[in-house]
Parts: sequence; structure tokens; C-alpha cells
Amino acid sequence: MTWELFAVFLGSSIRLAAPLLLAGIGEMVSERAGVLNMSIEGMMLMSAFASAVGAWATGDPLVGLLIGIVSVVPVSLLQAFLSNTLRANQIVSGIGINILVLGATTLAYREIFGARSRAEIPGLAKIKPPLLGDIPIIGPAVFEQVWLLYAGIGIIIITALVLRFTSLGLAIHAAGAEPKAVDKSGLSVTAVRYGVVVFAGFMASLAGAFLSIGDIHTFTEGMTRGAGYLAIASVIFGKWRIGGTTLACLLFGAATALQFQLPALGVNVPNALLIMLPYLLALLAVGGLVGRQMAPATLGEPYRR
Amino acid sequence: MTTLDQQNSLDRGPRFTLRPSLFVPIAAVAFAAAVGLALIAAIGVSVPDAIEAFVDGTIGSPYALAASLNRACVFALVGFGFVLANRANLTNVGGEGQIAVGGIAATAVALYGHVADLPLGLAFILPMLAAVIAGALWGALAAVLKVKSGTNEVISTLLLSFIGVWLLYWCVQSPALLRKPMTSSATLPESLEIPDATQLPLLTGDYGFPVHIGLPLTLLIALVVGVLLAKTIFGVRLRAVGLNPVAAHRAGISYAKTVIVALAGAGALGGLAGALMLLGEQHTLKDGFSSGYGFDGLVAGLLSRGSIPGVIAASLLFGFMRSGGINMEMVAAVPTALVVVIQGLIVITLAGAALFIEKWERRT
Repeated sequence: MTWELFAVFLGSSIRLAAPLLLAGIGEMVSERAGVLNMSIEGMMLMSAFASAVGAWATGDPLVGLLIGIVSVVPVSLLQAFLSNTLRANQIVSGIGINILVLGATTLAYREIFGARSRAEIPGLAKIKPPLLGDIPIIGPAVFEQVWLLYAGIGIIIITALVLRFTSLGLAIHAAGAEPKAVDKSGLSVTAVRYGVVVFAGFMASLAGAFLSIGDIHTFTEGMTRGAGYLAIASVIFGKWRIGGTTLACLLFGAATALQFQLPALGVNVPNALLIMLPYLLALLAVGGLVGRQMAPATLGEPYRR
Repeated sequence: MTTLDQQNSLDRGPRFTLRPSLFVPIAAVAFAAAVGLALIAAIGVSVPDAIEAFVDGTIGSPYALAASLNRACVFALVGFGFVLANRANLTNVGGEGQIAVGGIAATAVALYGHVADLPLGLAFILPMLAAVIAGALWGALAAVLKVKSGTNEVISTLLLSFIGVWLLYWCVQSPALLRKPMTSSATLPESLEIPDATQLPLLTGDYGFPVHIGLPLTLLIALVVGVLLAKTIFGVRLRAVGLNPVAAHRAGISYAKTVIVALAGAGALGGLAGALMLLGEQHTLKDGFSSGYGFDGLVAGLLSRGSIPGVIAASLLFGFMRSGGINMEMVAAVPTALVVVIQGLIVITLAGAALFIEKWERRT
């Protein structure tokens, strides 16, 4: 493998990991506070659709992104209401939301674009950061990415600082590990848990917009194709930590990038095996490499005062 | 409060009880259907036209009726599997992958297992058995991960679904596996058609009403699973492990064995569902074979709240909804995605109402 090809591989690994990373960090924060959102998939799809329609209708991808973010708010509020107020089974309600969003976006897509599809949709711009972007070969291939990724990395760094150094971070952690203590301290567990679901929805909306108007500049029916579930797997793989989750996402991104890289190198591996690889890795990850004891104590359990 | 309670005790006759576990699902379906009708009106299609197309597609002809019933069998089998595993507090969302591996196994044996000349129906029974075994192994894989490393079965069965679906894609793409011999570059990525003898016999022998023997088989399995859960020690073990694994262990019930048997059983039923689809209707294996039926079956299982007759009712409903939805798209230009919206609403409503149902049933 030449350096040039390797740089391209690295660049596409990061590009493919980006939506998983954005959604995965949001989900990690939510799971730390004890709420599992199987609906990450649906939230991403909702935003992928809404931001594509927004960008297409207004001609401005930035407006599209905003519409994508706003479109997920009702979805995440619905999930938060089901999980926290109605104390519904978080897995079942999440899957229900995914089915609903898949149906609704497909229906709306057909109504707006018709069955022909492939309308030209304006996308978010790529940027090359100074210094890093100026490195020969590697600079353009690896670091020239859609600006949303850099914005997302900024948000992730802030998230890491908030989790580590602020009382809010402590409250989030405690809401998942020891909700009774949070209650006794006078904070509302329900409020914290509503907040984290909305945050997970916000991050998933960035991830969805990245897929449609960031990466391929179009929307296809059901285009998330399990990316939300991979994001959840990356949280488990990463042991509910930011660094671990990030590495897991990069690994899944690299596994996906191999699909395009290996045939270019003349390596003859069945395409289906390569498409399957991230899911296979995720299964191995959740199946063997991490133990249960790492999960937040009350993950998936509704809190009852 | 007291008047409501009195009202309740009056309603609670010995023969007929209007339990929330019965009327809440009905209310959820009615609510979702109402939203569906409103959506049809919203996209500018005449509602009576759409309803007519829907009814035509479900019971309008013997052929449509048969297609709906065959589909309902597939949903019901996956749904029974869901209920079986759920009795042990396990959530099997892997129906889609189990259908896929069942379809692969059935195709492989039907085409290359030299079974076509066997007597006594073995020509189609052996491919079915292969599908059952493949599905059971697929389900058992998730169970082993759960027992060995505590992996949540929801995540593992879901990931196994993706893997199963791509495995099927691989099988029909690769000439070394199940793809039919490539005579030109235009050869479709699908298997050969399975021999006539390996296809499931039709109940009436009439191609105008092609209900196959999957229907009586499904009813038989409904009976077996129902009896197994309600009347046998196996059913008690499942329930014990589901309610309290520690107490079950003290009582000498093996957690590992119960989990593996429950998920393998659910997988076996999913594999059989795949066999019915392939041997009964499609006859060639193609990409996209499982067509979301695994999720429909899952929803049927959820809707039933653990009751086998409930699974049958929900499966019939979804069988008819799918057929009607397809006809609505062809005749009245209503996208089939509408049916998906309705299903999503049903699941969300029921998930949200679970607390209400539990409270109500504890009170009465």
C-alpha cells in the first residue's frame, strides 16, 4: 500500500466514522444517565431526511442543517416521554420510533420527490484546517473534511470537559449510577434524563445531517441502514467512555472504508463480507471483549421516585 | 374512585371480561388506522378509493386472500418465537436474520441436497428441517454470548440480523455459493428455482387459491407452543428464569440451558418462517428476501402481550395490512410506507400504555 492510498484510506475511515462518532457520543452521555435510546437510528434518519429536504427547498445547506436539528426535537421528546414519564420498555419504544420514522420519511420522500428521486441537493462545504491541512499528501486526503465534523469534535471536547469537571457531569453520571442519591440531593432525575435524551437526539441529528447533506449530498430511503445500532455498539465497545467510544467508531469506520479500498488494491474479497465486517466486529466487541459490569448501574431502567 | 371500582366489578363477569390487555391493543390499532386514513387524505388520495383498493388486496380475490394468509403464517411463526423467548424475559429482535439463514439453508438443501426424488414429502421436509436447524443455531449464538459474557440479546440478535441479511446477499452474489450459473453478465444475482418436488404442496391444489401447507403447520405449532408454555414444566422453567434468575437457580433450574433453549427455539421458528417463504412462495432466493417480515413478526409478538391467540390475531392483521398496502400502492398510488407508519404507531402506543395496563390489572 502506497502512502497516498493509505492517506485516502485514513481519510475515508474518518469520514465514515464521523456519523457514528457524533451519534455515539450523544448516546454515551444518555446511557451514562441511565437511558438507552434504541431510537438513535430513527433520529438519524429523521434528520438525514429533514436536512436534505431543507437544503433542497431553500438551496442553503446551513438552513437544511438547522431544519434537521429541529426535526429531531419532537422525536427525542417522544422518546424521553416514553422512557421517563410513561416508564415504557426503552428497547421496544425505541424500535417503535425507528419503524415510525422509517415509514414516515419514506412516505414523505415519495410525496415530495416522487419515485424517481436523486434530486440535486446542495451539501455542506469541506474545509482544510490550517497547518494539518497543509501537510503534503496527507493534508488534503485526511484532514479535508466537512466542517460539521470539526464542529462535532469541538462539541465532543466540550462534552468531555462538562462530564469530567462540572456538577452537571456529576449529576449525569449519578443519574445512571445512583439515581436515588440524585433525588435526595434535590435534583430531579427525570429532568436530567429528559435532558440527556434531547442531547442524544441533537447529536444524532448532526450525524443524520452528516450522512445526507455532508457526505453524499442526497437522501435515499432508509439510508441509515443500521448506523444508529452501530453507534450503540460503539458505546458498549468503548466501555461508556469518550476515548473508547471514539476508537470504536474509528474502527467501524475503517472496516467500512475497506469496502472501497481493498478492491482498489486488487485484493479479491467478497463485497458482502466487507459490508458485513463492521457488524461482525461490533458483535465480537459486544460479545467478548467487554464485561457487563462496565455498564451504568441503572441503564435501561426507568426511575421511580 | 369507588364508583369506578364498582363499575369495574360489575363489568367483571365470570364469562366475559373486557381486560385492558385486550382493549388497549384494539384501541392502539384503531388509533393507528385513523392516523393512516388521515394521512391518505393528506396526500390527496380519495379515502374511499384507497379503502376499496385495500379491501380488494386483502379479500378481493381468492388469490389475494391466500397471499395474505401465507404471509400471516410467516409473521405468526416469528411472533411465537418472540413470545417463547419473552417468557424467559428475553427479547429476540433477530427474526429478520433468522428468516434469512433459514432461507439460505432451505435453498441450499432444496437445490443441492439431492432431495427432489425422495418419497413421503421428504423433498420439502428436509429443506424445512435444515432451515429450522440453521435458525436455531443463529438464535443459540446470541444465547451463548449472553450466557458467556452477559451480552444483551437485543443488541446481539439485532447485529446478527444485519449479518444474516448480508450473508444472504453474499450467497446470491457469489457463483461459488448459491448464485445460479452465470451464462452472461446479465445473469441476475439470485439462485436457481428450486425443483417442483421441493416446493410446499398447496392445500387445495388450486393455483387460484395458493394457500400452502404452511397454514396447518403454523396452527399445529401454535398449539404445541401454547401447550408448552402453559402446561409443561418447560414453560414453568422459562417463566421462573424470566421472573427471577437467582431464585430459579436456587430451585435447580439451569439459567444457561434455559436461555439457550429459549433463544434457539425462537431462532428455529424464525428459520422455519424463512423456509415457508422460500419453499412456499418465492421459490428462488434473491437479495432482500426477508423483506422486513422479521420485524413484522416481532411487532405481532409484542402486540400479543404473550398470548398465542394474540399472535395469531396480530399476524392476520399484518398479513392483510401488507397485502392491502401493496394493492393500495398499485391501484390507488398510496405508498406502502403508510403501512409501516401505522405499525410504528401501534408499537409506540402499546409500549407507552404498558404501565397503564399493568397498573390496571394489578388493581382488578
